[in-house]
Amino acid sequence: MKDIQRISPVVFKSTPSKVEKRDNWDVVMEYSGEGDGPYLVDLSHRPRFDLQSSKLAAIKPFGLKLPEIPGNCIFKKGILANRMNGIQVSVLNLDGQKDSSMPDEAEYTDVTDSTICVALIGKNIFSICEKLTALDFMDLQKKAPFLFQGPFSHVPCQIVTLSKDSDNSGLILTCSRGYGRDMINSILHAGEEFGLRPAGESRFTNWIKA
Amino acid sequence: MINRLTSLPTLKIDTAQKLAFMYKGKKYYGVKGDTIVSALFANGVRIFGRSLKYHRPRGLYSLDGECSNTCMEVDGIPNVRCENTLLKDGMVIKEQNVKGSAENDMMSFLDKMDWLMPAGFYYNVMHKPAKIWPIAMKQIRKAAGLGKISPDYKMPGKFDEIFLNTDVCVIGGGPSGMMAALSAAKKGLRVIIMESRPWLGGFYEYRSKEYKNSQTLHDRAKQLANEVTTQDNIRVFTHTSAVGTYNNNLVTGFQIGKKEDVFDERYIEIRAKSVVAAAGCIERPLIFDNNERPGVMQIGCALRMAKTYGQLPGKNAVFSIGHDLGLEAALELHDLGLTIACIVDIREDGQDPQLLEKIQAKKIPLFKGWVAKKALGAKRVKGVDLSSVDGQISKTFPCDLIVASAGMTPVTGHITVALGTLKYDTYTGFFLPDQMPDKMHAAGRILGLNDSFSIEASGTLAGLKAAFDCENGSIKEIGDAKKALENLPGPVRGTKLVTAPVKGRKSFICFDEDATIKNIKQAIEKGFDVPELIKRFTATGLGPGQGGIPGHNLPLYVAKYQALSDVSIRPTNVRPPLVPTLISTYAGVNHKMFKITPMDEMQKKDNGIFRNIGVWQRARYFSNDLLCKKEIENVRNNVGMLDGSTLGKFRIHGPDALKALQRVFVSDMSRVKEGRVKYSAMCNDDGCVIDDGVVVKQGENDYYFTTSSGRAGQTVEWIRYHTRYDGWDFALVNLTDSMGVINLSGPNARKVFEKIIDIDVSNEAFGYSEYKEFKIADTIPTRVMRLGFVGELSYELHVPSSYMKSVWLMLKEAGKEFNIQNFGVEAQNVLRMEKCHIILGQESEQRTNLLDVGLGFLWDRKKAEAKTVGAVALSQAENDQTRLKLVGFKMENNGRAPRDGALIVDEKVRGYIATARDSFSLNEAVGMALVEAPLSKIGTRLEIYEDECGDDRIYGKVVTMPFYDPEGQRMKM
Repeated sequence: MKDIQRISPVVFKSTPSKVEKRDNWDVVMEYSGEGDGPYLVDLSHRPRFDLQSSKLAAIKPFGLKLPEIPGNCIFKKGILANRMNGIQVSVLNLDGQKDSSMPDEAEYTDVTDSTICVALIGKNIFSICEKLTALDFMDLQKKAPFLFQGPFSHVPCQIVTLSKDSDNSGLILTCSRGYGRDMINSILHAGEEFGLRPAGESRFTNWIKA
Repeated sequence: MINRLTSLPTLKIDTAQKLAFMYKGKKYYGVKGDTIVSALFANGVRIFGRSLKYHRPRGLYSLDGECSNTCMEVDGIPNVRCENTLLKDGMVIKEQNVKGSAENDMMSFLDKMDWLMPAGFYYNVMHKPAKIWPIAMKQIRKAAGLGKISPDYKMPGKFDEIFLNTDVCVIGGGPSGMMAALSAAKKGLRVIIMESRPWLGGFYEYRSKEYKNSQTLHDRAKQLANEVTTQDNIRVFTHTSAVGTYNNNLVTGFQIGKKEDVFDERYIEIRAKSVVAAAGCIERPLIFDNNERPGVMQIGCALRMAKTYGQLPGKNAVFSIGHDLGLEAALELHDLGLTIACIVDIREDGQDPQLLEKIQAKKIPLFKGWVAKKALGAKRVKGVDLSSVDGQISKTFPCDLIVASAGMTPVTGHITVALGTLKYDTYTGFFLPDQMPDKMHAAGRILGLNDSFSIEASGTLAGLKAAFDCENGSIKEIGDAKKALENLPGPVRGTKLVTAPVKGRKSFICFDEDATIKNIKQAIEKGFDVPELIKRFTATGLGPGQGGIPGHNLPLYVAKYQALSDVSIRPTNVRPPLVPTLISTYAGVNHKMFKITPMDEMQKKDNGIFRNIGVWQRARYFSNDLLCKKEIENVRNNVGMLDGSTLGKFRIHGPDALKALQRVFVSDMSRVKEGRVKYSAMCNDDGCVIDDGVVVKQGENDYYFTTSSGRAGQTVEWIRYHTRYDGWDFALVNLTDSMGVINLSGPNARKVFEKIIDIDVSNEAFGYSEYKEFKIADTIPTRVMRLGFVGELSYELHVPSSYMKSVWLMLKEAGKEFNIQNFGVEAQNVLRMEKCHIILGQESEQRTNLLDVGLGFLWDRKKAEAKTVGAVALSQAENDQTRLKLVGFKMENNGRAPRDGALIVDEKVRGYIATARDSFSLNEAVGMALVEAPLSKIGTRLEIYEDECGDDRIYGKVVTMPFYDPEGQRMKM
């Protein structure tokens, strides 16, 4: 019998230089030639949950008080919760070390395999984004973190802007897993002129810590 | 090559950097900063092409692409606007629309045949007898058209796109545009400037007139450009033309890339909160005989050739103008070495006294109230006939250059495209903005202003108004800016003259389409009395210049010719793109966005042949045998694997989940039992069947269901929409991409399956239509359904997508001893067709209801809890005998299968073939068809008509369904 392995929908052409085995995933911690940024990091192995309930106010996933207004997000202790609408929240566990198991309540659905999840971090990331979407990441009214649910390279996505700092910006993008190949191609193509390269998970972990 | 002026501060060329290019097979040199036309002009080229209809020689007239005079073929691309396309090293340039050469065109005799081609001649002549027209049409088409392109031409170059958001978008990087940008930016707003030229400055940029305190206009342009470009919150896009303005301040445009850019052209889409239209003015062409002869050019063109490109536009010039810019240009060009034979000014008075003094001081003859009447010379200007405006007195001057302009006219396309309106202003002679679109403001010369301070003040005012639109400004500030503008000089009086006193046979109002004043008169005399009709009848303004030359002259002339008491006539509508660009630019980078399944890579390794099916790329075949004989036989006799991951998959949970299912599914969903699979369908309000799938219960108030691949993207919205007034408490999660699906089918399926799992999957333990959840290898959570879509023993495995590769490999390894094979979508299509299992969209179209396709048994008519979507319509349709029915048929005499979509006919169309194939399982051609009820009886002969079959028909006979394993024993084994 073959080894049981979980496969990420995100495939980079770069050569991994450091890989870590985690919950049947081969997590690339570092690629050779990552460059000076901006970076595209595959986080598709990080657990993600759909939470739907008519009583969201009473639910505190991982101890977090959920944002009340659709489009608002909260990011604390590695857990990102995005208010999607009146009854729905997407929860992302971005802390690689944290217990990744889903809360037991029936309101949760594990959607880790539903989407790709990538982080775009570093300088010029919004210049890359404006080649692919009309969403306004630099809207002066919006304070990070905030959620967009809209088209990115023509595909419906959830995009959370974590930071708008000019040299140290960052966002998380999820879209249907099936679009993984073409979404990555289009982001890397759009980012070519800005030096966008694939990077390992460590780059994201360090960015979060910074 | 002529010597360039090299010491002017306004030059945009670098004579030290030579660029080589090929023109008509010979090598020439231009310099960096040259346009193609300025480089050719420097090499002595004066005729760039021939006109559309009459093949008249055409030369340099404007520099901003207002007409097609300088359209040429560049590097194989036809109709390149060479007057504003920068020269690149190695370019290959060819003339177009010539037979022979532009200099000696064999088709030039057509110029003398104009009497044969009056306005709209192709509507009147060569139509009788009728058989002449197809021949004539071909000849006309051969002779007409600019440029040639092959239908399979592949556009070279790099194209990109960019989607921007901003608070204020300023169209035009001249003085008013820059002032508007600065005043909005100072409020902290985000501002974008779009400037069509490669630099900022507008009409300041090439002029040496004093702005104030010895500062020239071009120095002022530099000062403003510096302020704008150093402001962090202003993004400047030069060489960027705005081509469309739409509702909610969506502005589109395109940018020409520089050498270092990653694109040659890119499409730009800007969403702004407010827009400032500050595109300035172009010159209103002066209409006289031979007014497009090479050697006739506009004031700005002549002046910019010298000030921007360092070339005198001629040696001996006559100016025929109607605006002070003409006097200013004459003085500047005189100082640079151009001989000015004389200036004739349409205006009797109103000239700037200072300019008049200077003209007098330089002893340049000036005739007020005079105008050019006719350009002399066959291919190039050799002289000009001048006359008083009333046509009473004439003079002739030899010259090689006629600088001609009737005055200015505002560039209003950005306003009218956004549904703003214009009104004729008798003082300026302009069509001025009347009703501006919401949150759009005009600034600068577009308002008729001519004074530099007024122009800038209008920009400041527009910027403040735009800031106010962004909720960042006050009424007081706007009031103050308005007062400041009111205290400055207002609009200047403009000239009204449209044509010199000529008959107009060779006086061109539209260069692109060779439309003359005489043509306009002909159209009016035929009853086409408004510009919109005349435009279409004479083709005036329909050429690549996008109406730049006829522009506002057409309505002015129409008003004049009809002696209208006021100019109530409006200019014709302009439409995007306001500036012509490449279709490739609109296409952008064209990233292909398709979904792939988790098994994409594995199936490619197994020689899968993929096709785009909806949003997915799926393996349709696994060999070059497109009939899939081996794939089908393997499933019927052995075991095969199909990747069914594209199926829609959903979780619905919550206290009212069942109610929601009852609403959208036609069956009684309360009868879904744990451990069992229930097949059902969804209809729309018309009872038309839109989707089908299976539902399983996975817990209390918790269900998992599938839909067709094509509908998966709409299912959540569909269910939410049909329960929107009920206030039900349920949650829906789309798991389509989350779960991969493997369909393991064939008589040996069980033997393969049981090798990778630990549970009993015998028919007794896991029977047909049952459902189980378990873990493979204690790790992989798996949902399995016993289904029979292809008519054989089948297990449908639903596995988390990230584990799919592992499970696939396990099954392949387990199936090795049976020689397990893949099968693709086409094989599945045939297999299920033999079993008469339908695919919605294949056996149905949008009018087909549940009953038509024989799925009426799914409909529970007694559901009490909630109404079922489509039930009312189904009740009404139940006894309707006029509806089509789905039938099975076999072909007569062992004939071949008809094509999908072929028609069932007698003397009328009676139905159509849904799916038909040559069945390897049955050794005959079978299929399903939707036919009128009388034809649905068993044994009815069906007459089948295929595309292009002529009088030949093929025949089939209605038979009972299903064709294969009618007892259903094989899928229950």
